Amino acid sequence: MATGKTAAAEKEKAPARSWPLLLIRNALLWLIPVAFLWTVFAPVYNRFLLGSAQNLVRLTEYPSVTDILRKDDHFAYISRRDFPPSRTLVNSFRVTDVHFHLLMIGVLFLSVPGVPWRRRLENLGWAVLITIFFDIFLIFFYVKATYAARLGAWSLAHYGAFARNFWGLGQHLLDLPFKFSLPFLLWIGFYYQDLTAAIRPKAPARPAPTAGS
Amino acid sequence: MARKTPVSPKTATPDDVPFWRRNRREIQFLVLFVVLLGGGFTLISLNWVNDHVIEPFTSGIAGASGTVLGAIGQPVIREGTILRNARFAVNIRNGCNGVEAMLIFLAAVLAFPASWKSRLAGLGLGILAIQAVNLVRVVALFLTGVYFPRIFDTSHTVIWQTIVILFGVMLWIFWANRFAAPAEPA
Repeated sequence: MATGKTAAAEKEKAPARSWPLLLIRNALLWLIPVAFLWTVFAPVYNRFLLGSAQNLVRLTEYPSVTDILRKDDHFAYISRRDFPPSRTLVNSFRVTDVHFHLLMIGVLFLSVPGVPWRRRLENLGWAVLITIFFDIFLIFFYVKATYAARLGAWSLAHYGAFARNFWGLGQHLLDLPFKFSLPFLLWIGFYYQDLTAAIRPKAPARPAPTAGS
Repeated sequence: MARKTPVSPKTATPDDVPFWRRNRREIQFLVLFVVLLGGGFTLISLNWVNDHVIEPFTSGIAGASGTVLGAIGQPVIREGTILRNARFAVNIRNGCNGVEAMLIFLAAVLAFPASWKSRLAGLGLGILAIQAVNLVRVVALFLTGVYFPRIFDTSHTVIWQTIVILFGVMLWIFWANRFAAPAEPA
C-alpha cells in the first residue's frame, strides 16, 4: 500500500518538477498550428467583430450615423453618414491588430501540461468568449476616441474635456496594456493554482519569504 | 428559510468555502496586477513623462538599433526615434519600444508573492532580457522593411508583438519557478 502511494506520489511529482519547461516546449509546438488557425479564421472574425462593434456604437447614438466598413482582409474604416460626402471616412484601423492576442491565448491555453484536454478546451472556450467581448469593446472605444479627440473642431464642439480624456485614456489603456496582457491575465486566472502547485515543491528548500512577501 | 448547518473545518469540502476565499491568491494577484499595470500605463501616458522619459528612452533604443544595423552592414541615419536609409524608414513609437512588455513583466513580478530580493533580481534581469529581444525585433523589422516590405505589416503587428509578449510571459514563468517562493496557504 505504502509502495503504491509512493509510486503514485512520485508519478505526480515527476511532471510537476519540469512543468514550466514543458509549458515552454508545448508553447513552441503550438505556435505554428494556432497561427495557421488564426490566419484562416481572421477574415471571418473581422467581419463578425466589425458588425458587432457597429451595432454597439449605434446603440449609443441617435440617429444612427456610424458605419464601420471593411476595406480588405485587414483594414476597416470608421464612417459617419451625417458628414459631407467628401469627409465621411473619419478614420481607419487595422482589424487584425485588434485580435492578434487570440493567437497568444490559443498558444498559452493549449500548452498547459498535466491538465486533461476537456478542462484545457473548456478554459480556452471561456477565455475566447471573454476575448470576443473585449475585442468588441476595444473597437467601440476606437470609434468613440476618434469622435472625441481626433476630429478637430468637431470633437471640441461635441465632447467636453472629461469625455475627451475618458475616451482617449480608455482607448489607450485597452489598446496597449490590456490588449497585450489579456492572454496572460486570463491564463493566470485559470491556471494560477496549477502554476503555484508546480513551483511549490521547491519552496521548502528555500528560506522562508522575508517581509514584503 | 435555509437551515444553517455548522460545518467543521476538518470536513469542509472546497465547495463549502466561498469563491473569493477559495481563490483569494488568484484574485489578490490579478487585482494587484491590473492596478499596477493600469497605473504604470496611465503614468507613461502623461505628456511630461512621455516627453522627458519615454521619448529619450525610445531615442536610445533607436540609437542602439542603428548601431547594430551599422555593425551588420546596414548603415542608417537616426533622427530622434526615426531610423532610415535610402530604401526604408521606420519610426519607433510607443508599443514598439518594449516599454509595454516591460510594464507587464514588472506588474506581474511585483504582484506575485516573492521576496523583494527575488523581485529586484527578476526585474533587473527581466527588463534587460526584454530589451535585448526588443532590440532584435527592431533590427529584424527594419531588415524586413528593406528586403520584404510586403510582409512588414504582418511581421510588425502579429509576429513580433506575439513573440515579445510570449517571451515576457515565459520569462515571468521561469522567474516564478526559479526564484520566487510562493508562501504555503495558511
